[in-house]
Amino acid sequence: MAKEMIAMLLAGGQGSRLYALTETLAKPAVPFGGKYRIIDFPLSNCVNSGIDTVGILTQYQPLVLNEYIGNGQPWDLDRLYGGVHVLPPYQKASGSDWYKGTANAIYQNISFIERYDPQYVIILSGDQICKQDYSDFLRFHKEKGAEFSVAVMEVPWEEASRFGLMVADETDRITEFQEKPKNPKSNLASMGIYIFNWDILKKYLEEDEANPESENDFGNNIIPNLLRDSRKMYAYRFNGYWKDVGTISSLWEANMEVLDPEKSGINLFDEDWKIYSRNSGMTGHKISAGAEVENSMLTDGCRIKGTVKHSILFSGVRVEKGAVVEDAVVMGGTVIKAGAVVKHCIVAENVTIGENAVVGAMPTEEEKGVATIGSGVTIGDNAKIGPKAMVNKNVEGGEEQW
Amino acid sequence: MVNSSTSALGIIFPNSYDALVPELVNVRLMASIPFASRYRLIDFVLSSMAHCDINNVSVMVNNNYHSLMDHLDSGREWDLVRKNGGLTIFPPFAEKESKPYVGRVEALAGILENLRDQKEKYVVMSDTNLAVNFDFRAMIDAHIASGADVTVAYNEQELPESLLKSQSNDKGFYYTFDINDGRITKIYVNDKEPGIQNFSMNIYVVERELLIDMVNTAFVRGQQFFERDVLLAQLNKLNVQAYKYDGYVARISGMKSYFDENMKLLDDHNLDALFSGAPIYTKIRDDNPTRYIEGARVQNVMAADGCVIEGEVENSVLFRGVKIAKGAKVKNCVLMQGTVVEAGANVEYLITDKNVTITAGKEMRGTDTFPVYIAKFQTV
Repeated sequence: MAKEMIAMLLAGGQGSRLYALTETLAKPAVPFGGKYRIIDFPLSNCVNSGIDTVGILTQYQPLVLNEYIGNGQPWDLDRLYGGVHVLPPYQKASGSDWYKGTANAIYQNISFIERYDPQYVIILSGDQICKQDYSDFLRFHKEKGAEFSVAVMEVPWEEASRFGLMVADETDRITEFQEKPKNPKSNLASMGIYIFNWDILKKYLEEDEANPESENDFGNNIIPNLLRDSRKMYAYRFNGYWKDVGTISSLWEANMEVLDPEKSGINLFDEDWKIYSRNSGMTGHKISAGAEVENSMLTDGCRIKGTVKHSILFSGVRVEKGAVVEDAVVMGGTVIKAGAVVKHCIVAENVTIGENAVVGAMPTEEEKGVATIGSGVTIGDNAKIGPKAMVNKNVEGGEEQW
Repeated sequence: MVNSSTSALGIIFPNSYDALVPELVNVRLMASIPFASRYRLIDFVLSSMAHCDINNVSVMVNNNYHSLMDHLDSGREWDLVRKNGGLTIFPPFAEKESKPYVGRVEALAGILENLRDQKEKYVVMSDTNLAVNFDFRAMIDAHIASGADVTVAYNEQELPESLLKSQSNDKGFYYTFDINDGRITKIYVNDKEPGIQNFSMNIYVVERELLIDMVNTAFVRGQQFFERDVLLAQLNKLNVQAYKYDGYVARISGMKSYFDENMKLLDDHNLDALFSGAPIYTKIRDDNPTRYIEGARVQNVMAADGCVIEGEVENSVLFRGVKIAKGAKVKNCVLMQGTVVEAGANVEYLITDKNVTITAGKEMRGTDTFPVYIAKFQTV
């Protein structure tokens, strides 16, 4: 039985710009928004859009991600036929290869896609926070009679040169592609989400693979080749919330935007478009007498005895008496001991921040930065971590790191 | 595990003591009463069983069980989806002479054939009016070590006021014991003795073959109650051992105790005592985290996910998806899933059932000894 459309989710990126957060974790597995991981967004979008077959292409530090995905049940993607499949590079009779590029990752899994005999394939990216209805995107693709469509966002002209841009005519047909150009001719930024007719995708993947010069990348190779051949390529305008969380500051920012859904537009409180995740199974969170919690999000297992302002705390975070947490993203299982001050930073999972330690600082004219503490790190009592610090090793009591 | 000489299957009686909380079981049963901000009472016994390798669990539903079936679904959240065993819900057998069961004996008689087909050596039985993180494995070991025919778990506590005050027996039976060197020498039914008692938790370990014999014999004689008609009557013949449980026990024996047991969990010692063991599983609802908006004032509160808090909350337990609007004041309340307290409302000592709305500006007060209960879907 053929599937109309299946999804291939590119989750192999190392996420090197997230430094301490991705040392032992693939980027799509990075926690986000209090109880989610980044990959929950594309996966939930898939199931909410009626896509029940998803291949996840992994390569870098896949352990946490593999375990997290498991059989796909939390996303309702445990299916008899289809469902979610993690697809690491594998050995073949004629040798094995790492995924050389985004296109090569799909190329190496052509046989997976063919099992489902799909008409369309949607290529998704595992490093974006976005609530998007892919079925609407597919409707557009069909209406235009397209062979390839790309989801695009309008970005401010002054920022346009940071993006891959699609130049489109009045019918939304793409006439040109500019990768981070100095002189942008368009402000339609590619979101890295594509729908292909499968026969077209397969043809171009095979052609690309045969070219030893190619980087095997969608943006640099496949899309230019489609343009060269004047294929029917269309730009689908998306105007919901979308954020690439590939850097520490954008990840921090996106988390803060969750706290302000009215303004930012990223509403996780949407009964009709739930974001699913694997549950922590902890008991309800607890705010003690004497604690202060304002403008923040808490989830199961949190125990708050100190002050929490404008912050996102993940499951099982403990904030002891007299500790202050402000403008911070604090991931699961972290303990912030009495009197510690944690500000304007990202603290990864299972970190211990010692008594009266100081991590990060509110931004000032001279110094802006999001301090980052990697997972499992212990910050000693009275230690001081500067606002630009990137900490991935234990810091002894009383020491300073900038 | 099934072939091991210590393997056990579980049988849960989800309707036991329904009569003690008539308001709460109007649309559900004891097992599916919401408790501790994100759980249902059955989660505790069921999770405890799952953690003790009791992977073959039968739930003997009697009436009002739709909410429980919805909650348990396939049993996946408790890791009880198994090819062998797993979770089985036994509704009352639909035949012309069948009707809801009265006592344990009748319920078990209805599944005797099924019990005969199982492979586990032991059976553990439990009600669901207790929130406990129970180590069934330790109890089975004690049962084996003592050579008992039947082992019953109990804790030492005073009998709840609601039971002491009750004049009739129509709210069901509860049991207290005299114990001599571990062996139960006397069983009291609906005793009114003040002070600390050996209070039965109605958790049993018995060999499956023996249980089948006991139930068979009792049922033929028209007997209904396992404790009163089987154990009590044969205390001199059967070696019935008492197993003292020292862990945390939240026992629901009335509306007041339901309120108190929720409130007690605001004390970290109690919360840790109940939850520090193996995790308690429950149905996943995929709520977003709880959001505290600018201006929220929150003191001594336990809350589940999915809440939006803008007002003032003190000494309260909030279930999933509770909304407290700006300027609203909530003090000493247990607010179940989906309760909405609108702007400027001021409430104290309230138990709201699911999806209750307290409209803007309303003032409502119960008292410490008599919390006001508001039924499901009501708008005040």
